[in-house]
Amino acid sequence: MNKILFLVLLILLLLIGRKRGLKTFISFIFCMALIVLYLFLMKLGANAIITAFIICILASLVSIFLLNGISTKTLAAFIGVMIVQVITFVLICFITNRANIGAFSEESLGTVACFNQGINYNMMNVIIGMYLVSIVGTVIDTSISVSSSMNEVLENNPKIKEKELYKSGMNIGGDILSTTINTLFFALISVFIGFFMWHRGMSFEQVINYKSFADDVARLIIAFIGSVLIIPVTSLISSKILLNKKVINFVDDVQDRISEIFNE
Amino acid sequence: MKKIGLIVILIISIAAIVFVYNDYFLYKNPILKVTSIKTIVEDNDAIGEKVYTQHIKGIIKNGRHRGKKYELTNTYSESLVYDDKIENHTELFVEFSVDDNEINGITGIKRDKYIAILLIIFIDLILIIAGNKGVKTLISLFVNIGITAGAILLFMKNITTTNLLLLFFIVAIIFVVSSLFITNGKSKKTLAAIVSSIVSLLISFGLSFLFIKLNEEKIFIWTMDYIEAVFDYNNYLYVCILLSGLGAIMDISITISSALSELIRKNKKIDRLALIKSGKEISKDIIGTMINVMLFTCYTSIIPTVVLATRNNMNLITALDFYGNLELMIVLCNCIGIVLTIPISLFISILILKKKEVKKDE
Repeated sequence: MNKILFLVLLILLLLIGRKRGLKTFISFIFCMALIVLYLFLMKLGANAIITAFIICILASLVSIFLLNGISTKTLAAFIGVMIVQVITFVLICFITNRANIGAFSEESLGTVACFNQGINYNMMNVIIGMYLVSIVGTVIDTSISVSSSMNEVLENNPKIKEKELYKSGMNIGGDILSTTINTLFFALISVFIGFFMWHRGMSFEQVINYKSFADDVARLIIAFIGSVLIIPVTSLISSKILLNKKVINFVDDVQDRISEIFNE
Repeated sequence: MKKIGLIVILIISIAAIVFVYNDYFLYKNPILKVTSIKTIVEDNDAIGEKVYTQHIKGIIKNGRHRGKKYELTNTYSESLVYDDKIENHTELFVEFSVDDNEINGITGIKRDKYIAILLIIFIDLILIIAGNKGVKTLISLFVNIGITAGAILLFMKNITTTNLLLLFFIVAIIFVVSSLFITNGKSKKTLAAIVSSIVSLLISFGLSFLFIKLNEEKIFIWTMDYIEAVFDYNNYLYVCILLSGLGAIMDISITISSALSELIRKNKKIDRLALIKSGKEISKDIIGTMINVMLFTCYTSIIPTVVLATRNNMNLITALDFYGNLELMIVLCNCIGIVLTIPISLFISILILKKKEVKKDE
């Protein structure tokens, strides 16, 4: 069933993007495989949080370096993503722990009842890992847009100072922000509609203290916070890295070595 | 000026946090603040892991019993699949027994202040980092939240007579018009973006609708879990597909229409083929990340259920088939919609932007 949809997507991407479309499709499949790998590792009993970080690193490596090549701008984007993932991780831990956002709530009782609850696996960690993985897509997206636009600014104006470069990064980030927030809002809004359909007649005070409502809101706002935080972080790192001679030489070195390997 | 603004924001935020930490008086249900916990561990063979019993002492913070101390117990199993682990900072909603002397049980956990803190952190960050643009983004966000809330309330009031899908179809069009207007102002490129968003939405949703209708029996099996649901699940599924991709569709439409209007402004005699070529180039850059964003944001919601199933020795492929197919279908339908938006908005943007240009020349 879904195979047909995969095929339609592939054909459309090929028609519109040709080679680039194929690349896009491959990275989509790869990200999909990463999520399945994540689930597989958790089935085996690996620590859900450490595995989530590894999955995030792999996803960033592929969608940043493989799709956009190795350069100072992609290096800056990658470092930015890692820093933001760590900061949001702290926030996620705080909120899931304090607000007791657990794995399942009353509406999923039908599913939970089918299984034994003694799974010897900490579900709180699974939730934290899920939050981490669910935001990595947007964080990568914004990071790469900011750092490549900053690189563009630098190329058009090679004598630009670090502070001005940082400011232009913040400016570009501000422009992207509203569409990113919009995309995330709509991607997650149907969950809320579902929630209110389920819990008809619930009072306002019940709603804002309800487990799955807190879960939905937290997921949405943490995605928002990730996509806001990445703007200053990437701007700062790009403004340092893009102008740093040592880093530029290092990246050139890596590029040379990689092209050597490919030539052999 | 900037510093003053910053200080004002911080003061309001702190005041708001202090308020939500002391909002017990707003609640009718009695709230118990935990003061001490004694935990007893037992091996439970029936479940197969450790079960903890918590003996909790606490103080009531509101209502008739305010200030009185009570005791109660709570149990949770180690994996925390469904239970809550109560900690010293937790506040509980409790229910009193008929004779009003002791606590019958826990009815819920007070989570409002943490939601408020998260919201305040987000608003502060967006204002500090993005300034005026942040204000615009927030306004557009809150307008969208307001529209959604209004639509849900409207539906609740006339539940038997309102068609959920039709309602949200109208709401989706309102979303498109309001979000694009607020963030881009009134201009030709906004008009082009609005028209192309709506047409893309109609076409991509129409295709998804057709696809689901043709395969209804197979999809019906995936939604078995929801049969007991109290609402019209089929229509809810359509609403999910309709709305999840809407943000991405608007994003692509506005990117294409502003890029094209910029190109036309710079070179009024630019021909259609050149426009189509550069429009395609620009959209290729955004489409890859957009599709991955959809995947990561929407598909990850299956994780808890799949983990519970696979840890119960269900095969991973079977679990994905059982609990992941529906989510995957929604993601894929949206991705297809996103890709389709590119040619549609190229066509419509050129139609709208070029036509007006020609008129001006004459």
